[in-house]
Parts: sequence; structure tokens; C-alpha cells
Amino acid sequence: MSKSSKKSNNGMFSTIYVEERALEYPITRQLLERYADCPVIAIRHYKDVFNRPGQHFAVQKQNQSLILAVKERQFLYEGPEVCQNFGHPNFYYTSFLLNCVFDCEYCYLQGMYPSANIVAFVNVEDFQKAMKEVLPEKQAFLAVSYDTDLIAFHSIVPYLDYFYGFFRQNQGLLVEIRTKSANQSFYREHEPLENIIIAFTLTPDEVIEKYERHTPKLQARIKAVNTAIARGFKVRLCFDPIFIDPEIDHVYEPFYRHVFAQIDPGGIMDIGYGFFRMSGDFFKRIEKIRSRSLLYAEDYCMDKGVLSYPLSERERIQREHMDILSDYISKEKIFAL
Amino acid sequence: MVLFVTALMVEASPIIEYFRLKKDMAIHEFPVFRNSDIALIVSGVGKVKSAMASAYLHSVYGSKQEDILVNIGFCGAGSNRHPPGTMLAINKITDMDTGKDYYPDVFFGQDLPKESIRCYSKPVQREDAGENNDFYCDMESSGIMEAAKKFVYSHNVAILKIVSDYLEPQNLDKEKLKGFVREQVPQVEKIISELKQLNESYGGSSLSVEERGEAEAFSERMKFTEAMKQMLLKEMKYAKLRGKEPLSILGPFMDIKVESKVEGKKILEQIKQKVK
Repeated sequence: MSKSSKKSNNGMFSTIYVEERALEYPITRQLLERYADCPVIAIRHYKDVFNRPGQHFAVQKQNQSLILAVKERQFLYEGPEVCQNFGHPNFYYTSFLLNCVFDCEYCYLQGMYPSANIVAFVNVEDFQKAMKEVLPEKQAFLAVSYDTDLIAFHSIVPYLDYFYGFFRQNQGLLVEIRTKSANQSFYREHEPLENIIIAFTLTPDEVIEKYERHTPKLQARIKAVNTAIARGFKVRLCFDPIFIDPEIDHVYEPFYRHVFAQIDPGGIMDIGYGFFRMSGDFFKRIEKIRSRSLLYAEDYCMDKGVLSYPLSERERIQREHMDILSDYISKEKIFAL
Repeated sequence: MVLFVTALMVEASPIIEYFRLKKDMAIHEFPVFRNSDIALIVSGVGKVKSAMASAYLHSVYGSKQEDILVNIGFCGAGSNRHPPGTMLAINKITDMDTGKDYYPDVFFGQDLPKESIRCYSKPVQREDAGENNDFYCDMESSGIMEAAKKFVYSHNVAILKIVSDYLEPQNLDKEKLKGFVREQVPQVEKIISELKQLNESYGGSSLSVEERGEAEAFSERMKFTEAMKQMLLKEMKYAKLRGKEPLSILGPFMDIKVESKVEGKKILEQIKQKVK
């Protein structure tokens, strides 16, 4: 199947690649109908496109394609050490999507994946089956929006609609949905569940402007946070990544004060806090493709293969930030990496 | 550098005329034509020859992944969806011998029709097409893709195919074919310009050729190792990204003479402090 066409009118995707075996899934059919004017290319396996040599992540990011695929195995992964487990010993993550519609300069995905194209897995039932088999009977913490932003992608594929019923039936799963999106439809259309946490990443507008291309402004994110709280959802705020930079350092205090002037701290479950950090290997790869980025021209300290700011600097800034945050929320509720 | 690969002279000559390319008389292995920015090679028919020619041209004139590799050639069409003379941007190539698929990233030519193509080892006749005849075919594209993936970014390969016939290759007229290519060359020039713009926006070093040259000469004078030279380049890049003149950080050290690597190391430390 190769469809002669100009680029999709809405400009969302440069091309849609479809695994032959994914063609009959309802998600595939709906997407092909919706993006009917986008060139469609049939492929055998998503890795034939996603893992090609010679792809330029930054160039592709501005011309993103969508790859519709059937996930074969390993539906769940154990949570990595660089991510917060918020005190849960059974920490897993899963990826219905690979890559993200946002274009954050600091994002580790640029170093992790060879391609900026988005892979959307269409066999949602297989994910549910695997979750039931793999997850322990006792409570497990499951991050479902780590290598992507499911809420931002909700208007393209509403994965959370497909999984809502499953999460409701499996209360042993504590599900975290991390997002920078201002899309409120999920909170408006669904009742809150005890085992769903919406984790909003909030950033000062100066950082959004500098590093988070295509993401909503702070005020739009705050509005989404307040909708989620008002609807009764458990809400986590993530101040992560924090940057140490003379041009930015001074914006954090007014940022925190502004956030808690707009959001009732009593409605917040807890806070995740962390500095910019990245695997050294990912950093090297990104440095090559982001050759004009100041972020990747800076010197960092390496500790156990992870690059970040020097410990003394982190400790100093963190102390300052914790003093401010503790005006609004108790320190026990702040999880810092 | 822009590297053109064509199978035949009939495909090459309108490009040679348009870009005023001159034959490179020093090369005897293939006919090669060039100017300061473009090199064109005539590979001969078939994917092995096209792979050889692409690799050869890149090894002689190419130097980096930002080089642009353009294949212009004719293709046969199983159906009459596109009239003869239409140029197609190819987004999937299937090698019919190996079954292997290739996918160039097509970020150019928004108005061009995008199609898949089958690459065969022999010319395809109408009677070979079978029932499902809505396909395009050529004999070079998979060879070019196999070579290209070693040398250039996937968005820098443009496989451009002009429909020559409806699987009746015996009825082709040379002058008519040249006319098809001549008509499309301005569009090809536009594609090249789009790709150059794309590469300039995202790629390359933030340091100019002159700045890099100065840094290399300085590193040699200071007896820097390769690793130290890379550190110096990083410092200069950082200075430039911070809005400073990168060569100015070397200024105070220009007249210093060093006798050993240890002395050079001290100079590098001083430069690093200065940039901070």
C-alpha cells in the first residue's frame, strides 16, 4: 500500500508507516481514516523504519512520522534508578508509545532512540493481558507515560480511555500518568480513581521558552492541574528537571510562589523534584545532533554513568528550593532525586 | 556537496547543462561531471553499478553526513495514475531480489507525489506485471540506498523518479526522455535548496571553518593532544554560544611558546578558566 499524496493538511505527521499486521486493529483503522490525506507506507516491522541507520533526530522531530505497530513482547519494564519510585518497591513502567509530540531540548529520548518518529502500539489488549500476568498481587507502582506524554497524545490515540476500565478493575496497580499537557479532556470525561495519579511537570515560563518547544505555557498547565484537582484526581507536581544556570536560577522562587498562589497545596498529593541529569552515553549522542545547544556545551559531573551538576551545587540550590517549597507542603511529601 | 547519481547519459545531460557541470578529466572509472558545489556520476544500469558509483562519488567528493545524494532516473509505471514525465519522490524502495526495504526520509517537495518503488535486476515488461500492476519499477534505487545509508543522513537522500513509460521500455524516444528531465531540473534545484536549508538549520558545528582552522593551528603550536584539541573546540563553541567571539579567548595566548605537552595542558586550563 503506498498512497500518492501531499503532506497531510493538518501537518501533524509527515508520513504514517503501518505494520502489515497492524492494519486490522481498530486504532489503525481510525487513524488512517482521520489522517486520510497523509502518505501511508506499509512496512513489515516497525524496527525496519525506527532503527534505520543515518536518521537525524532533530530534523525528524520537525517532520515527525507516525509508526503504527503491534508490540510483541516485554510489555513491562522495571523502573530505572534515575526515575523516582516515590517509595514503592515494585516500580514498573510501560510504553504504549515511543517518543513524544513535544520537543524538549533536555529530553533523554533523543539519546535513547535512533529515531524521533512516534511508534504507537495498537494491540492494547495484549498490554492488559501482560500486566495481569506480570504484576505482583500486592500493590505495584506503574508509570505509563515515561517515554512519551499520553495526555498530550490523547486527542490522537486516547490510550487512557482504553485503559481506564482496566485500571479501575485492578486496584492493586498504582498508575502514574506524567504530563506537560494542558489537555483537560481525560479529567473531564472520567471519574477519578484511587489508583490513578496525574503527575504534572511544571516549569517556569523562562525554561519553557528556552528548552520545551511545543509545550503549553505554565498558566495553561496550572489550569489543567486545577481542573484535575477540582474533579477529584490525585495530583502530583513534578519540578523536574531543575536547571542550574545564572540566567535561570533567580526565576525559581517567583515560580514556586506563583504556582502555589494559583494551586491549593492542600489538593496536592506530593511533589517530585530533580535536577537535569542524563546517562553519559545518551548525552554524547545528543551533543552531536544538538551541536548548537548551550545545554550540551556545558560541563557536568559524571557519577556512576549519569551526568548532572556538581553535588555541592545541587545541594545548595536544593536547600534554597526546599526552604521555599516547605512554606506550602511538608518536606515528607517532597521526593527528591 | 551535492552528489548526483544517474544511470544513463540521457538522464545526466539536462542536469549537466542546467548546472553547467564540467567533465572531471582526472577520473576514468566513471564519467563524472562537476562544479564547485555539485558532482554528478553516470553509473550505468543496475543496482550494483549504482551502489558502486554512489560509494565512489562520495569517497572522492563527499565528506560528511550532511552531503546530499540525489538519484534522478526514469521508472516504469504499471498503471497510468501518473502521466509520463511526472516526477515522483520515492519514500519506499523494495529490492525484488533480496526482499529488503529501504525508507529514505522525504522532507522535501511537499507538492510532489510520493510513491513506493520496486527495484528489479532486469527490465520489467507489461506481461511480467501480473494482476496487481499499480507499482513503479527501476533498476538502481536499492543500490543507491544501500550505499547511502553508510554515508549520509536518511533525509539527505532524494530518490527522484520520472515516469518514462507504462512498462513498454522498447518504445522510448531519447529526445523525449531528455525533455522530461529538462522540464524537472528546476524542481530538482528547489529540492536541493530545501535540503540545504534543512541541514543548515540543524546540523554542523557552531564554529566557522575559519574558527576551526585557527583552533587547529593553535592546538599544534601548543602541542595539544587530539583530546586536548577537542576540549579547546568545546570551549570555543561554548564561548560562541554564550555570545562571545571564540577566537578572542585564544588572543592572550597567541604569542606564548610551549616546549611540552605539560605546558600546553596548563594553557588549556587557563583558557577554560577564562571562558567560565
